[in-house]
Amino acid sequence: MNSVKKNATLKISISGARGIVGDSLTPQLTATLAQAFGTYVGGGPVLVGRDARASGIMLSEAVISGLLSVGCRPVDVGILPIPSFLFVTKASKSAGGIAVTASHNPKPWNGLKFISHDGLYLTPQQTEEYLDIYHQGAFDFIPYGKYKSVQIMADAGEAHLKRLLNRFDSAAIRRRKFKVALDCNNGAGAPLAPRFLRELGCEVIPLYCEPNGEFAHDPEPTPENIPDVCAAVKSAGADIGFVQDADADRLAIVDEKGRPIGEELTLVLAARHVLAGKKGSIVCNLSSTRALDDIAAARGVKIFRTKIGEINVVEKLLSVKPKAVIGGEGNGGVIDPEIHPCRDSFAAMGLILEALAKSPKPISSLVASLPRYVLIKAWIEGSAERAHRLISLLKKRYEKTGTVSLLDGLKVDFADHWVHIRPSNTEPIIRVLAEAKTEAGARKALESLKSEISNCLKKI
Amino acid sequence: MLKIGISGVRGIVGPSMTPTLVMDFASAFGAFLDRKPVVLARDTRIHGPMLRAACVSALLSSGCDVIDLGICPTPILQKTVRRLAAGGGLAITAGHNDIQWNALTFIGPDGISLNPFQGQEVLDHYHLGNFEKAATDDLGRLTTPPESAFIEPYVEELQAFVDTAAIRAARFKVVIDACAGAAAPCLERFAEALGFDLIPINNEPNGFFPHDPEPRPRNAAQTVSVVKAIGAEAGFLLSSDAGRVSLVSETTEALSEEFTFPLIADALLARRPGPVITTYSTSRMIEDVARAHHCPLIRTRVGPAHIFLAVGQEEAVLAGEGSGAVAALAFQPAFDAFLSMGLILETMAQTGKHLSALVGQLPRYHIVKEKVYCPTSRIHGVIGELAKTFHGRDIDTGDGLRAEDKDGWIQVRTSGTEPMLRVIAEDKSKERARAKVDKILQSVELMI
Repeated sequence: MNSVKKNATLKISISGARGIVGDSLTPQLTATLAQAFGTYVGGGPVLVGRDARASGIMLSEAVISGLLSVGCRPVDVGILPIPSFLFVTKASKSAGGIAVTASHNPKPWNGLKFISHDGLYLTPQQTEEYLDIYHQGAFDFIPYGKYKSVQIMADAGEAHLKRLLNRFDSAAIRRRKFKVALDCNNGAGAPLAPRFLRELGCEVIPLYCEPNGEFAHDPEPTPENIPDVCAAVKSAGADIGFVQDADADRLAIVDEKGRPIGEELTLVLAARHVLAGKKGSIVCNLSSTRALDDIAAARGVKIFRTKIGEINVVEKLLSVKPKAVIGGEGNGGVIDPEIHPCRDSFAAMGLILEALAKSPKPISSLVASLPRYVLIKAWIEGSAERAHRLISLLKKRYEKTGTVSLLDGLKVDFADHWVHIRPSNTEPIIRVLAEAKTEAGARKALESLKSEISNCLKKI
Repeated sequence: MLKIGISGVRGIVGPSMTPTLVMDFASAFGAFLDRKPVVLARDTRIHGPMLRAACVSALLSSGCDVIDLGICPTPILQKTVRRLAAGGGLAITAGHNDIQWNALTFIGPDGISLNPFQGQEVLDHYHLGNFEKAATDDLGRLTTPPESAFIEPYVEELQAFVDTAAIRAARFKVVIDACAGAAAPCLERFAEALGFDLIPINNEPNGFFPHDPEPRPRNAAQTVSVVKAIGAEAGFLLSSDAGRVSLVSETTEALSEEFTFPLIADALLARRPGPVITTYSTSRMIEDVARAHHCPLIRTRVGPAHIFLAVGQEEAVLAGEGSGAVAALAFQPAFDAFLSMGLILETMAQTGKHLSALVGQLPRYHIVKEKVYCPTSRIHGVIGELAKTFHGRDIDTGDGLRAEDKDGWIQVRTSGTEPMLRVIAEDKSKERARAKVDKILQSVELMI
């Protein structure tokens, strides 16, 4: 219990650093992490941006201070959706970027994500090199004469927006004059998303589009957290509802009847649409729905699965043959490599609207024709170390009955369902998932996994 | 190189003056402020933005609202602290120190430099390291008011305080060297308000200084040549924070910075007599001036903390140092080069006398200031050794060692900013002043 409590407020991993403001995530720690990053990239311009959280300014100032002290030129882009941030890091030929964000974590949290010059999150190997500098405290403090100034870039989102509008058949989307209910949850998407949709000729019904970080609902865009946008779709007679997560990399969809389709299907819809136009591989993580395998099989293309963590999907996506045309995660994260190899709720909105524009059917019918599974996501308390011991015991239990993968935690595939258990990268919990054709089947699979876990826990 | 004390932290930017060190100090000040709002300003040094960002972050994290004035002279910051009734102010400036230095200077709730007790409290917080850490909902907010919001009220107050009509009527030509410091952006507005013709030099704040930002004759070459070329009535040199000023007369004499204080005192005490505060290191000229106006003179240790503590205790009307720093308490309890310039121009206008004539009225002493390297670890021993053979018998140990003689005095004290001993002697005879200093320098060099 003690070790969980100690871990609970600070996590430094391949997903960056996350902590609780007022507790572990102090200006001093933040500046030190930035000094290490500035030393790692060896000076040059470094983008600094943030999501809409109230603690964002306090932390981005600490980042700016740390970067200046090691000779970088901080380029302050202010509040920016994370996909725009990644896009601009590459487009502006910066040496790297630090985004102040805690994605979907609750309000007391915040964190840093570290981005290399190519606009990608640091890979696990790069993170290791970077953290070595942090741990050794080997920072390249510069003498006064080498100091750079801070650059303000107020229109950093424009380049991303322009690329998005060129990517889709904007004319076709504009002709349909879609009515769209949009819930930004007062997050980083708020300054840009309504504009993007209006540029696509949509009539926007905005909900929570003030980028003030005051989440209007739990930031995880799962069906139970988004009743307001569902009600707005119904009362306005909208064609579709979109919900962005706090840093605008993930997207949940509500159909024209005001029903959440489930964030798992965002990628499935996008993948089917992309593959209808061109052939290529799908890349997703281990926990994403089996519906993607069905889509791949139907189009005769390959599907590759990776460890959890966006960077793992991205690394695979950039290296597979045949070339990947779509990638992402089951949490509503869609990666369109034509725009930038990162999860991008704007790309997802564009693809879904394009799919709608090219079909006479409403969104509910497009969803109804997808292969359907039911995925249940749950978690239990426990550290990574505890998860590791659990997994070795569970593996022995499962390897006789199913196909076992140890790529990330333990995933067991059965003919009609699968289960997955793994430690979270961002929180001191163990995630457990089960998917089957039906709700009852998924529930049964999860219960059986949980009872196996209880049995194993007795042995630990 | 780092100096930490009750007046804040000062260091050479690089491996010792780091973001986390600055944050620790700003956090200590945040703890002192106890969540009250703070006004922030910096001078133009190229590394200022690093310290600024570190301070903003730490102060917000301490739960203090931050009103960031950006590049702004320290006297205007101090006025703003008082006008906004803020909890305090933080000036990021190393004043007269050269470009590689920077410092955090803390201002109290009334716009006055922290007194030694308040400074000690901040230092205690720093050493304890147990800083306030506000949760997300309790973090401070950052605001950045436009220049007009703080420069305008200041200029208007200054305009009302000095005899603007007289200055305007005189139509002086004045050369001001801001040393590319914090005063640069305000000078035009200042000249317009007081009604003189401004010839600014070194007025582009580019992060570097054209010469050391210490107002004194050896840095005055450019001002002297411009005063000469255009026949200006006065030349002024400012420190990077616009706290200090030294003068160049219309005869192109670069006047010792020691003249600024007695010159202003002579004019001001005639109108408004009262106690005068200065330091042990300041020229005897001020003694003669104070005596002439029947005003008591009280000497303190060097540094605004000690001076402004005495100002409060003695209900002084005027305070100043031999460095060109002057505070007229009826205007504000802060060293203020704008006010000093205004008062000197006012005196010139009201009396119709040239600057050289005004200075000519002052008693002339010769002051010799030297410094000698002395490692911090040796200072105590060296001063103890010097005391045994020190000049004269009545040693004043208020700040280092100081002794008076018939025509002057000599002082040895630790530098507040460098590993140096400062040796200062004054005498009616230049040779005697030089001899007094040389004797001490030789003894110190023998000991090290």
